Amino acid sequence: MATHSITLTVNGAKEQVDVASNWTLLQLLRDRLALTGTKNGCSAGECGACTVLLNGEPVNSCLVLAVEADGANVVTVEGLAHDGQLDPLQQAFIDEGAVQCGFCTPGMLLSARALLTRNPHPSEREIRQALVGNLCRCTGYARIVRAVQKAAG
Amino acid sequence: MLSRPGLPSFDYVRAGSHDEVVRLLVTGGPDVRLLMGGTDLLVRMRDGVVRARTLVDVKHLPGMRTIAYDSAAGLTVGAAVTMNQLASNADVRAHYAILAEAASAVASYQVRNRATLGGNLCNASPAADTAPAVMVLGGRLVLCGPEGEREVPIDEFFLGPGKSARQANEFLTAVRLPPPRQGARGTYLKLGRNREGDLAVVGVGVLGSPSSEVPPGYAFSIALASVAPVPLRATAAERLLAGQKPGGAAFAAAAQLAAQEARPIDDVRSGVAYRRAMVESLTRRGLETVWRGLSAASSGRGR
Amino acid sequence: MMGRQVEQTRVVGTSVPRVDALEKVTGAARFTDDLQFGPDLLFGRVVRSPHAHARIVSIDTAAALQMPGVRAIITGADTPGFIGLYLRDRHILATDRVRQVGDPVAGVIASTEQAAEDGARAIRVEYELLPGVFDPFEAVQAGAPLIHPDLGSYDVASFLYPRPGTNISHHFRIRKGDVDGAFGRCDTILEDTYRAPQIQHVPIETHVAIARWEQTGEVTLWSATQSPFAQRSMIAAAMGIEPGNVRVIGNYIGGGFGCKAGVTMEGLAVAMARRVPGRPVKVRLTREEEFFCSFVRQALVAKVKIGATREGKVLALQVEYYWDGGAYTEYGTNITRAAGYSSTGPYFVPSVMTDSYCVYTNNPTGGPMRGFGMPEIHWSIEQVMDRLAEKLGMDRVQFRLLNCIREGQETVSGMTMHATGLSQCIKRVAKDIQWGEKEPPSAPHKLRGKGIAIMWKAPAMPRNAASEAWVVFNEDGTFNLGVGGQELGQGSFTVAAQMAAEVLGVPMDRVRVARPVDTRYSPYEWQTVASRLTWSMGNAVRAAATDARKQILDLVGRCWGETPADLDIRNGEVISYKSERSVGLDKLVICGLSMPGDRELIGGPIMGRGRFMPTYVTDLDKETGQGTHGMVHYTTGAEAVELEVDTATGQVEVLRVAAAFDVGKAINPELVKAQIEGGVVQGMSSGLFEALRLKNGEPLNSSFVDYRIVTTLDAPQEIITAVVETAQDDGPWGARGVGEHTMVPTAPAIANAIYDAIGIRFNEMPLTAEKIYLALAHKA
Ligand SMILES: Cc1cc2nc3c(=O)[nH]c(=O)nc-3n(C[C@H](O)[C@H](O)[C@H](O)COP(=O)(O)OP(=O)(O)OC[C@H]3O[C@@H](n4cnc5c(N)ncnc54)[C@H](O)[C@@H]3O)c2cc1C
Ligand code: FES
Ligand code: FES
Repeated sequence: MATHSITLTVNGAKEQVDVASNWTLLQLLRDRLALTGTKNGCSAGECGACTVLLNGEPVNSCLVLAVEADGANVVTVEGLAHDGQLDPLQQAFIDEGAVQCGFCTPGMLLSARALLTRNPHPSEREIRQALVGNLCRCTGYARIVRAVQKAAG
Repeated sequence: MLSRPGLPSFDYVRAGSHDEVVRLLVTGGPDVRLLMGGTDLLVRMRDGVVRARTLVDVKHLPGMRTIAYDSAAGLTVGAAVTMNQLASNADVRAHYAILAEAASAVASYQVRNRATLGGNLCNASPAADTAPAVMVLGGRLVLCGPEGEREVPIDEFFLGPGKSARQANEFLTAVRLPPPRQGARGTYLKLGRNREGDLAVVGVGVLGSPSSEVPPGYAFSIALASVAPVPLRATAAERLLAGQKPGGAAFAAAAQLAAQEARPIDDVRSGVAYRRAMVESLTRRGLETVWRGLSAASSGRGR
Repeated sequence: MMGRQVEQTRVVGTSVPRVDALEKVTGAARFTDDLQFGPDLLFGRVVRSPHAHARIVSIDTAAALQMPGVRAIITGADTPGFIGLYLRDRHILATDRVRQVGDPVAGVIASTEQAAEDGARAIRVEYELLPGVFDPFEAVQAGAPLIHPDLGSYDVASFLYPRPGTNISHHFRIRKGDVDGAFGRCDTILEDTYRAPQIQHVPIETHVAIARWEQTGEVTLWSATQSPFAQRSMIAAAMGIEPGNVRVIGNYIGGGFGCKAGVTMEGLAVAMARRVPGRPVKVRLTREEEFFCSFVRQALVAKVKIGATREGKVLALQVEYYWDGGAYTEYGTNITRAAGYSSTGPYFVPSVMTDSYCVYTNNPTGGPMRGFGMPEIHWSIEQVMDRLAEKLGMDRVQFRLLNCIREGQETVSGMTMHATGLSQCIKRVAKDIQWGEKEPPSAPHKLRGKGIAIMWKAPAMPRNAASEAWVVFNEDGTFNLGVGGQELGQGSFTVAAQMAAEVLGVPMDRVRVARPVDTRYSPYEWQTVASRLTWSMGNAVRAAATDARKQILDLVGRCWGETPADLDIRNGEVISYKSERSVGLDKLVICGLSMPGDRELIGGPIMGRGRFMPTYVTDLDKETGQGTHGMVHYTTGAEAVELEVDTATGQVEVLRVAAAFDVGKAINPELVKAQIEGGVVQGMSSGLFEALRLKNGEPLNSSFVDYRIVTTLDAPQEIITAVVETAQDDGPWGARGVGEHTMVPTAPAIANAIYDAIGIRFNEMPLTAEKIYLALAHKA
């Protein structure tokens, strides 16, 4: 099986890595770059725990081949905070108690980040629609929705 | 058999030209699979349902990701246009709103960033959400093969679950839709087990437009997802509507016919009886919704 | 009410932010699969039975051993020992026969997960099929295939009563009062049968375990577990090694809900690691495996007969529970027991006859799940109570207020009920949902309804389930709080830190919860189950902090020549109310103090130690199920639901849920509310969507594609939560647990509201749109 040498930018840092054809972006992030904030909950595009931003848009990194990310700009949960300053969403998740086990949290944050970037003042329904691909088994979603509303100001 | 923890081995090739794709398809045969968003293909490969030695990524070929609209020629959607691209495209929303609606009914936002229109159709799943929309819009699929391009009307494309009229050595480059019919209104209604995000238990696309060709003055097209081995036109229902004055009684009768035309199966998602009943419920609701739009438009014109 | 004095508190009772939130929003929080082991790491994959019941004839590993990357293969011959929490009825790998689809048959250790998988696929197993049984009611009939012929020889806890020669692994009985006579005095009697299917916990993190055997014979197991200490003892026993040689490290868990209690797949990692000493071996379940290869919630067939007087007083209850325990019931047996001793639900019923059977079938293995049998039995109790109220022409809320259990009344198992705010909870949710008022539906094809359900639950555990905690200080006066309970998302670390901060008089930011829980370095905790941490671990934490506090005040008192009673700790400083002197904790917690004058040093590192064990719990009589203090206490609560049914599709929209629980004392009110919200939605999900669809034991929907759970858009927009606080005698600051309880009444409350809306009762969960639509069509 072939390997491919790819370059990509992850959380602002340029990376050059060799990846096997069948590696997913999720595997690359977690197993090669040790960015374990991004979670694997199903490997099938269903749970959203693996959501990252690929060129600014949220994708299920379990359904993107690592080689497909050649040349791309990737943002994971580890890249949300800047200069020690939390993203307003991260702060809102803390303040609103939107975190329980925390396993869905990274994916939720990135889906929500993308939502607020394309729609800075979403309605509650728009928030719920944007997060429908992020399963949470702990919170019942209410506080997550509230946190996104709060971060939107 | 349980799914694998990860993807099985394969080689990845990023196609540089249409010719290269065809050459790979011809030489590789069934060992070669085409990759666009991968949201069907990669899932199936992990499940072991699909095997391939080589994945050929065709989404970067010229034209694959573009949407071109021309009021005379209609709409050309590159096969690798994503669902989110479709749903947010101004021309699609203005002239083919049902397609935008169907595209945003697929899966979740993240999946829609990868899932493509072409992949949805080529996958030939009876549950493909964009199929009913493309059917009622009279879409044609542009296939590229060793002899060049050919177009296949979508009504002739689906042959069975996972089976289509695409030859093994062809690939889809675009979907063409004729110019929108004047004053057309359409809607795609999807019923899943969850409010959104699930596969369709039943999907119904309805398109209506003023038409001088049929006596009632309005023509309706209806297509169904998830209720037969292939996405299905409800032709008997359409014929009935071509001969009756639009309104509650005609819609109820048409919805009943559509339910009879459906050939659903029992599976883990739902049973036959419910699927049939939902074809009726949704068809009726769809016809009424479309009719409201048409009536509002005509009274608007009259004013 | 009990005469407990309300204590003044500063930290306890406030909604401080979670101590783990920052780590979790930045991606820094380490879950088990996140741990890095470098190139040393090997992977294990498991060959699982495709058959529900079969004899293993042969296992051919030759081809697999030749596969690239494969290091070793284990089979049942490597794991002859038995494992199980209450009943040791299974092996880590099946030895002679498989009893469920997914039973592990062999394990492959390889350099990559993919190589291990390829190796597993190359193993050929020959089976001889055996007849299976898939319904608990059928499995107890004479002539049913016997699933555990050796049941009589298994090790079993003293309070369980297996019946060798049958498929019954436990039969719990209540014989209370004269049931026949009581039914004779009833004006109204109802009988019904209710069913709940297998469902799965669906933590978003699947099971994962990494094990390493040292050359010294010591084993380290990193696992996503609710039960590091129970895993230590269970795995040691199964592998024939000393518990002291097993070290279990439990990092943060991405949701447990019971399926990560006890041991399910973790033994596989340990057994594999034995073959490659010095190398860590990781085994993780795929989502598909997660659905049936750890625990599922047991299915239940409940036959209920209940009678009341025309005034509405319930006099008699007779129930039979047939629990589908699946292939192994090592844990499920105790669910059967808990269901039996709570079988009246939160009602006072003078005469009760209960038979709760734990039954082996060839379905997936049942185990603990949020509520531990209570959601399943309340599904029947709360619907039958509604029916009874209707038959008597009584309001459903009034009927519950009339019959709900009160302080001083005798419970079904003979305990005198302690103070409880149950009727307050009922009144509260009735008010919050505007009981009695009916709003018109939002559309002509919709019907609207309201329903209520109430609940109780006691922690189910052996009498010696203990908690231990310690407090040690750092030189800056901050302290490390050692606990052995796990943080699954419920907030246990936060409330533990609050309790310790309260006692020690320091702000929250001075507390460090020592994590991960590590059986070598952490204090003992039986398991993180039974909603027992706030209460049991909380008692230990309070004791440990109190112990440290006492040492500190004694030390300072001696140094200053004052009595400790005049001293206090405030904001990290020891102060004297008498002399108005003060000294920072940082000055004394490690190096002690020097006495005035001769400057003799006194003290030294302070270490507080605390423990708790509910020593006052008594046994229940084998024949009657009666005992004076069979369980520690009951948490009670109520939920009311307002919903709409779309008659054109059968879809249910839950509009509002009102929930109230008596938690004794909310150590952190927002965390309590967060538990309630999560439980309500999980309960709703089970009531409307979830069932593991089984065909002859084979799961048909073991993936998210077809096992649907509630998403953002299905969840109710409004959940109105209320916290009632009737202090619990044996709880820290009066607290009792609430984590599981919140899910218990939701499904029956929904069923009752659907009945209110459409006039149709459904006896079997889940109430899918399809089921409702077809019932409506049938009725029309
Ligand atoms: C979580 C999840 C939810 C989903 N929900 C829905 C849903 O609600 N509704 C729905 O309709 N679908 C759903 N899907 C399925 C899938 O997302 C869609 O079918 C999608 O449109 C497929 O597009 P793709 O680009 O990802 O296709 P791919 O996976 O890249 O390809 C699909 C198939 O087409 C073949 N193919 C690809 N490109 C070409 C080409 N140019 N010419 C010929 N053949 C080609 C591939 O070999 C493969 O067999 C879901 C998938 C997931 C993972
Ligand atoms: S892990 Fe990618 S969606 Fe679940
Ligand atoms: S917080 Fe646990 S899954 Fe969302």
